[in-house]
Amino acid sequence: MSDIQTTLRTRAAELLSSGEVVEVIGWTAGRFDNQTTPAFITKAEDAESLVFNEYCVNTTSKFSLMERGLGKVAVCVRGCDSRGINRMITDNQLKREEVHLIGIPCTGMKDRKTGEELLKCRECSYRNPVVYDELIGESVTEPELNRFDAVEKLEAMDQAERAAFFDSVYERCIRCYACREVCPVCTCKSCFVDQLAAGWQGKRSNVAENKFYGLTRVFHVGDRCVECGECQRACPMDLPLMLLNRKMIKDLDLLFEAGEAGLDAEGTNPLGTYDVNDVEEFM
Amino acid sequence: MLLAKDRLPQLLDHLAAQARVYVPARVGEDTRFALYSSGLEPDFEMVNTSLPPKDLLFPQAQSMYRYGFDDNGTPFIDPVHDSDNTVLFGVRPCDVQSIACMDDVFLTMGYEDEFYAPKREKLLIVALVCNNVAESCFCDSMGLDPNSAPYADIQLRQGSEGFEIVAQTEKGQAALSDWKSFLSDGTATRDNVSCTLKVDMTGIKDKLDEMYEHPIWDRISKKCLTCGTCTYVCPTCHCFDISQENRMKLGERFRSWDSCMFSNYTEMAGHHNPRAGKQPRVRQRFLHKLCFFEDRYGKTLCVGCGRCVEKCPVALDITVLIDQIGAADVAEGAEVLEGAAHGN
Repeated sequence: MSDIQTTLRTRAAELLSSGEVVEVIGWTAGRFDNQTTPAFITKAEDAESLVFNEYCVNTTSKFSLMERGLGKVAVCVRGCDSRGINRMITDNQLKREEVHLIGIPCTGMKDRKTGEELLKCRECSYRNPVVYDELIGESVTEPELNRFDAVEKLEAMDQAERAAFFDSVYERCIRCYACREVCPVCTCKSCFVDQLAAGWQGKRSNVAENKFYGLTRVFHVGDRCVECGECQRACPMDLPLMLLNRKMIKDLDLLFEAGEAGLDAEGTNPLGTYDVNDVEEFM
Repeated sequence: MLLAKDRLPQLLDHLAAQARVYVPARVGEDTRFALYSSGLEPDFEMVNTSLPPKDLLFPQAQSMYRYGFDDNGTPFIDPVHDSDNTVLFGVRPCDVQSIACMDDVFLTMGYEDEFYAPKREKLLIVALVCNNVAESCFCDSMGLDPNSAPYADIQLRQGSEGFEIVAQTEKGQAALSDWKSFLSDGTATRDNVSCTLKVDMTGIKDKLDEMYEHPIWDRISKKCLTCGTCTYVCPTCHCFDISQENRMKLGERFRSWDSCMFSNYTEMAGHHNPRAGKQPRVRQRFLHKLCFFEDRYGKTLCVGCGRCVEKCPVALDITVLIDQIGAADVAEGAEVLEGAAHGN
């Protein structure tokens, strides 16, 4: 991994000094041991502060949107980051030529306090970037896993159990919207939550309002969720947000063969596309 | 006076019979100040609860008044002033100081908040000075002491002998006379603790006075996601919004936590927004903590509890910011202004 870091610093400096990009988005050291924080490098001489290790917990894709208009930006992308970039291109939020993608195969990131691999990484089946302009490091073997294990447990609950489970999740939500802000596919210019005059979402924090927020968001991002797991990692209350996203993904795949979002920049919009062959058993 | 460890549950049961008692506890996956009932085990070793105790005085949503038309068609407006006798038991020095900050906001400078005041009036603050510190604790850099909570009504110091108890206010003295049967003579021996995370606040306020326009705000705000995590886990953040809900002939006005990190926090009629971007929002939050509050109330609005340091999803760390301000060249700000004056 230190080899990747060395190459990353060299390439970042080259890209910046040649003028190919105006900024490199990656990670740098945080205050504490084993902590990193997103970094935005604009000068070649600062490329030495870039860090790549097993504690780079932040995904980078969302940050590329913030830098639009500055010029071409280099973004460090692992599997999760690259799928976010693809999906943003599908959603017309970003143009492929606006970013230079430095691909980095990933072996999973760890929680700095426990040293354990993050849940989002344990559930990840795309450790290698799915799109990149250059690749730093050797490709890694993709793990074989059933990412719907937890969903199947949810499905096995009876209705009362499931209702109680959702209540227990959303009574803990504090409505900080970290899940929304960190999400690479939450790119609406005006979120339904913020349309106060329309009054979709009340400002009172209680289990009903919180559930309305959370479940509406799940429906809204369901067919575009790239399963980066950042919502769950960012959540200050550690709510199992990916469980709900994955339930949606599983159902969409069953009903509309939605597949996995962000594997290429073409993508599909099962929830936004009408097809006469769509399942409509509920009609 | 000394409270033996094994008398603690009896004291809490006694208090719970006359008041709502909140203790730091693990509740499911969360740590918070939980409503005590017999059998609940307080956890005094967990360092800070993930959520602060501020919602006891300043609930995330609080009814202000109900209005509508009664059966005779007569309009009415009924204020809601709910308050109960409440004991906040085992609160740490940083969180005690956060109540001092909230008291300043809601009770001083010629305005007494009619919804906060009755709750505060009925609150007894029983502090427990810190047995241990977290890596993110930095209260002793912010002018506090983890070994002392001077603003509390009653202060507890935990030693192997039990809890040494001192009343520090009249309210505290009155309470202690009621607790007498649970107490014995004695003192507790404990070693003082100190924070491992240190920042140097020397001159920070003076520098910030000159740094409203400064490139540091662009640099540090870049990674901010503008979620509300820092403000909602903060024990002193107290901004709110007022909304209403209407059902048929009845309605209710309530206030709810709001966050200066949200774009619509400052959005005005006609959609003008003086803090539309994240740079001015990040600047506002940190200047309010470290500068503006001190101008108005003579203390900083950061008590060094470290919750935002722990919870920020991008590790935008106020202690790092303080270091950066300490190292910053104030004159760079003048260049920003100069550039603006020349249209750059």
